[in-house]
Amino acid sequence: MSATPLLELRGIDKSFGPVQVLRDVAFYAHPGEVTALVGDNGAGKSTLVKCISGIYPTDSGEFLFEGRPVSINGPRDAAALGIEVVYQDLALCDNLDIVQNMFLGREKRSGIVLDEPTMEQMAAETLAGLSVRTVKSLRQHVSSLSGGQRQTVAIAKAVLWNSKLVILDEPTAALGVAQTAQVLELVRRLADRGLAVVLISHNMNDVFAVSDRIAALYLGQMVAQVRTTDITHSQVVELITAGRSGSLGLAEPGTGHAGNAAGSTDTTSGAVR
Amino acid sequence: MRAGPSQDEIRRQNLGALLRHVHVHGATTRAELTVTLGLNRSTIGALTADLAGAGLVSEGTPKETGRAGRPSLVVRPESARVYGYAASIEVDRLRAARVGLGGEVLDRRDLDRPRGMDAAETAPLLAGALAEMHRRVAVDALCVGAGVAVCGMVRRADGLVRLGPTTGWVDEPLGATLAAALGIDVPVTVGNVADVAVFAEHARGVAAGCDNVIYLYGDVGVGAGIIAGGRRLTGHGGYGGEVGHMVVARDGTRCECGSRGCWETEIGEHGLLRAAGRSEARGREALLAVFEAADRGDARAQTAVRQAGDWLGFGVGNLVNIFNPEMVIFGGTMRDLYLAAAAQVRSRLNHVGLPACLEHVRLRTPKLGDDAPLIGAAELAFERLLADPLDVG
Repeated sequence: MSATPLLELRGIDKSFGPVQVLRDVAFYAHPGEVTALVGDNGAGKSTLVKCISGIYPTDSGEFLFEGRPVSINGPRDAAALGIEVVYQDLALCDNLDIVQNMFLGREKRSGIVLDEPTMEQMAAETLAGLSVRTVKSLRQHVSSLSGGQRQTVAIAKAVLWNSKLVILDEPTAALGVAQTAQVLELVRRLADRGLAVVLISHNMNDVFAVSDRIAALYLGQMVAQVRTTDITHSQVVELITAGRSGSLGLAEPGTGHAGNAAGSTDTTSGAVR
Repeated sequence: MRAGPSQDEIRRQNLGALLRHVHVHGATTRAELTVTLGLNRSTIGALTADLAGAGLVSEGTPKETGRAGRPSLVVRPESARVYGYAASIEVDRLRAARVGLGGEVLDRRDLDRPRGMDAAETAPLLAGALAEMHRRVAVDALCVGAGVAVCGMVRRADGLVRLGPTTGWVDEPLGATLAAALGIDVPVTVGNVADVAVFAEHARGVAAGCDNVIYLYGDVGVGAGIIAGGRRLTGHGGYGGEVGHMVVARDGTRCECGSRGCWETEIGEHGLLRAAGRSEARGREALLAVFEAADRGDARAQTAVRQAGDWLGFGVGNLVNIFNPEMVIFGGTMRDLYLAAAAQVRSRLNHVGLPACLEHVRLRTPKLGDDAPLIGAAELAFERLLADPLDVG
């Protein structure tokens, strides 16, 4: 809820050959808030995330991190800034236990051997700090965990490394009701600890349950980024499917390009109601 | 004209503040205490010595800090020695625990409670569990009190349970019965489950640091624990916060309280099960089954959940407009309903809430989960100690 966004993107363009996937996209994420990124399949959500995490270079546009212009030329740059992405497929190693997964590639050493007690303690503290009570043993193999628990481990990993911005790609897809609830509470707790969280989801319930702001992409354009208190379910659905809803989103067809793109819509609470 | 507080009062207040800090935040160094309490080093030293003398805290050297200089002593609550009893009487279960200073659960018992079991049967059952735990306590340990959370309306003055719509109790002197059955000479404080749960979340949960909070607790009925301006709001006799009986529909469904169209007839267990076409079913499991069915695509369950979510949004909108809270917490079955129908809840809330009241309201689920009533009951037990540590210790 601070005044400067942790991450701010301005005028991002991205094309794959002749296909323009992102058009003049503006996006921002504040610390302590969950920003939901919504859009239909093919709207450009994943591409935007890959641009943020340094996997794709952008064609043009500005990146500001904590108010300073930065250039992200690869995943290492993003990680160095404190940007962590938790992908849908989780990228956990089934044959390793929870602690090994959380420290994978960044193991603590004492002398020439691994410092197992410290790593275990740090993992335990991180999970306890997130009020995770469902995991029985930290030395359990990840293959034995349920979908919700795996998601929890992947998210806790981001916290362990003091990330500032965590991007979650469909964290509740394929989870049951009880596990979805737990993951949503975890997402909320991350933001309440002061992290900026970007949540990509198709599920409007998840979006409304935890988000502070909703950013809607439509055919590669950011049509609105508004506070969750200023918008209703049906308006979000209209933004996703038609690119506009009342005074929000794209201008009427025929009047030219996006007249009301992101950035300027955040203060339209009066108009939305 | 009243004179300023006496030295004795100031000291008592400072002792209470110091003990409360280590009770809520755990082991704390003297250096941190000086900063957070705004007292000077020698005062902190004297206060700690007094509390340690009474056996309420202990001091020790911290682990390696890795920094230069003599490390500051760590003040720890004597969790193993100083304790209170906590109990929670819920619709379907009874829970009892022995909780150490600092909030550590030292021992606990969970029992099933058949619905409608009356106080004459419930109190001995609970007292039995407490007595069983009490037999294992070391002789030098200090019991500072007992707290009970009960799903019913409780008279603040003496813990009389006036009406538990879901427990079927009318005018039961639970506080007195338990105190007698327990056979230990400690005060027993009884509170409504929602009031107690908000107390817990405010002390050491998601609402820590928030002074205007509404905790909506749902089981069969729905009640609210309200903290306004940092104080618990329970009304003249202690019966306030029965938001489940806000009338939301004239000539609506008949409620167990005798009225019609109460809010809980739409969002409570019976209402949701009825709308899902499962009027015969009862209990939390049945309710969770409706959410599961809705998630898997059962159209009737989906409609029922969405409708209930919409009603939840209406009521929360009213509460937000009246109390202007900074946080609304959804506990008990309201947690499940909120998470399953958040789109409906917030859409409706955004319609009915006044923009100024909505501006800073945060919607949250409990950090302490289903343990909030039990933890809150323990906080009730500790309240007297924290108000005047040396008197009890």
